[in-house]
Parts: sequence; C-alpha cells; structure tokens
Amino acid sequence: MMKSHIIEFSSENKYLTLKPIIMGKNKKMTMALYSGSIDKLTAAGVILSGAAADDMDVDIYVLLQAARAFKKEIATNKDKLFMAENNELRIEFLNSLKRLNVKEWHEFFKEAKEITNVKIHICGLAGKIWGGEKLDDFIDLADDICGISEYITSAQEADVHLFI
Amino acid sequence: MGEKIMTTEELKALKIDKSVDARGTACPGPLLAAKKAIGEIKSGQIMEILSADEGTKKDIPKWAAKQGHDYLGTIEESGFFKIYMKKN
Repeated sequence: MMKSHIIEFSSENKYLTLKPIIMGKNKKMTMALYSGSIDKLTAAGVILSGAAADDMDVDIYVLLQAARAFKKEIATNKDKLFMAENNELRIEFLNSLKRLNVKEWHEFFKEAKEITNVKIHICGLAGKIWGGEKLDDFIDLADDICGISEYITSAQEADVHLFI
Repeated sequence: MGEKIMTTEELKALKIDKSVDARGTACPGPLLAAKKAIGEIKSGQIMEILSADEGTKKDIPKWAAKQGHDYLGTIEESGFFKIYMKKN
C-alpha cells in the first residue's frame, strides 16, 4: 500500500488541508506453483505468508505436480507427497517441521487466504492429468480452474513473480 | 513517522496495549501473529511481540515500516526477544 496525501477544501473552514489517504492498488504477487514436492509446497506457503503480512494481492497458478498435491485425497496426506530432491531427507524434514511447530503446507495457504486477497487457480490440463476434472476434486482453498492465458496476464501485471 | 529507536529503559516504561506471545512458532509465525494482532488495536496504541525466532528481530521493523507503523525497539531476554511497535 502506498501512503500519499490529498489536498482538499474543507467546508467548515476555508483552509487547504493535507489529509493522508491510502491510495493505489496493493502490490501484487503471481506465483506459478509447479512442484508437488512437500518441501517446495512448504516454501511456497512461507513466502505466501510474507506476502499476506504485506497485504499483497496474490494469484497462485497451480500447475502439473502441484495440481496433484491440491487434490482432496492427497493434500492432507503426507504419505502421498514426496520430495523432488533428496527424498531420503523427507522424514528428517517432516520431523523437524513437527518439532519446530511449523504448520503443514496447506495450512499456510489457508491462513494467507484469511489475511489477504489470495486466489488459487488450478490449471485445467494439470487437473486432468491427475484425474481432477472438477473444482470439487480439489481442496476447498482452490478458487477456480483456469487456462494458461490467465496466468500470463497475471504475471504481466505482477510486481513479484515466482516459479516454484 | 519517526524511526527513533527507544532505549531499553524507555521501552520497559511503555504502557503495552497488546502483547503477542509468538515464542512457540518459527518464521513466519511471529510475523503473521503480529499482522493479525495489529488489526485488534487502535491507532497510537503500543504492541509488544515476543519471539524466540532470530529472523523476527529484522522482520518486524521492516514490516512495520512498510505498513506505516513505528518500530520502537527490541529488548533481548534470555532465549527470546521483546519487540515493540506503535500502530499509526
């Protein structure tokens, strides 16, 4: 948010007053979330939290393996999610998250949605690859199923653009 | 908006309107806790954030500045920090 001032005439007095106003749109972040790797989903969630704390508008485009992770029967089931790199570290990673009281990846997304304007778009093709035809096949956090043009438009408008 | 940092004595003497204990969470827990709590206090009121996460010490001042609030300073206790800010 940008703080600025507006010059206005007050009807009660004839003096010019400087009045602080909040102007302009919030900063925007667009994220292409390609990975279904549990550590990368967690990283995306942490970054999303930072954006939420800054009141950014966020568009998340859920592509390929991330779309699998967003399926209802997969999202909350850690046994069905792996690590793309060094999967032998998976147990250590999950145990550390528990010890450090870190939320599960999808909980970061849920909390960010409660704080700021976060829209989660599932790629139509990606959904179909993993047997998700309808929005209802994905967790409730998903807002719609979309095509690639929407992602490109959103990325063009974004102040911050990430591919994870 | 002053960036003046208060002395430890001044910080200790502050009247705290809201205290947020985020010592049980790692980054980004304390930041989100602060973000949620700031909505619950009025302009001019003082908030204290307790965190055991080293990163929070830098996060809160930067976040406060971006959001237009005043960062007042930090007191280091053993194993955690008390971070003070004023809502604008």
